[in-house]
Amino acid sequence: MNIEDSKLSGWLRESRATPALPPRFQENVWRRIEATTTPKKSGNWLDALVALILRPRLAFAGVALLLLTGTLLGAQSGVQTARHEAQMRYVAAVAHEFTYRQ
Amino acid sequence: MKRSLLILLAALALGAALFAGAYFAAHRASELCCARPADDLNWLQLEFHLSNAELARIRELHEGYLPQCAERCARIAEKKRELDALLGSGTNATGVPVKQAEIAALRAECQSNMLAHFVAVSQAMPPAQGERYLAEMKKFTLGAHEKIEQSMSGDCVHEHAH
Repeated sequence: MNIEDSKLSGWLRESRATPALPPRFQENVWRRIEATTTPKKSGNWLDALVALILRPRLAFAGVALLLLTGTLLGAQSGVQTARHEAQMRYVAAVAHEFTYRQ
Repeated sequence: MKRSLLILLAALALGAALFAGAYFAAHRASELCCARPADDLNWLQLEFHLSNAELARIRELHEGYLPQCAERCARIAEKKRELDALLGSGTNATGVPVKQAEIAALRAECQSNMLAHFVAVSQAMPPAQGERYLAEMKKFTLGAHEKIEQSMSGDCVHEHAH
């Protein structure tokens, strides 16, 4: 390469426009690189729900709520059944002949 | 996705099992706890908020009434057996209406004694509770038969309309 050629190359390099980089260019590049390398996060609602119910605090709260509700409703129903049976025993004792039997 | 679905189904099954277990255990426990088969009158005291004095008076009436009731029931059962025998033999058809009339008369006597007992028991209770007691007893004894009769008469009307 002679002197003329190197001068020409210099002029060409100077004449080439180098636009200004957009703001936060480097940060955005790294973000894109990270997004392609890390496993893709699932946007599925089912996965999100499962992740939610598997949280220990929520899981324990759910179990406690189910046990409490079941116990309360069962106890209430048991009391009603016992009361109904006692009522039927009394009615059968005093009105044996007239008690309706299905 | 499939794994999440399996986990969700397992969690639902576990939740249902926990709920059902707690429900049935509590149901059985409270049923056993509240059931007092030794005395028919316990229900009466709890249901109608009776004092011990009121319960004692009702117990007296109850114990006086039960042997008479049992005797009438035994007489009705005896007449029913006689009616069955007549119907089974098929020879004495004229005796059937007589036997039916005897059973009906015994039932009427039994019913009027039962109603008199209900009234006496209701009078041994505070007035509001006594009224409620009479209404309950009517519902379980006469009310059920009224329903049957009403449904049957409804059917008859329907039949005759054709």
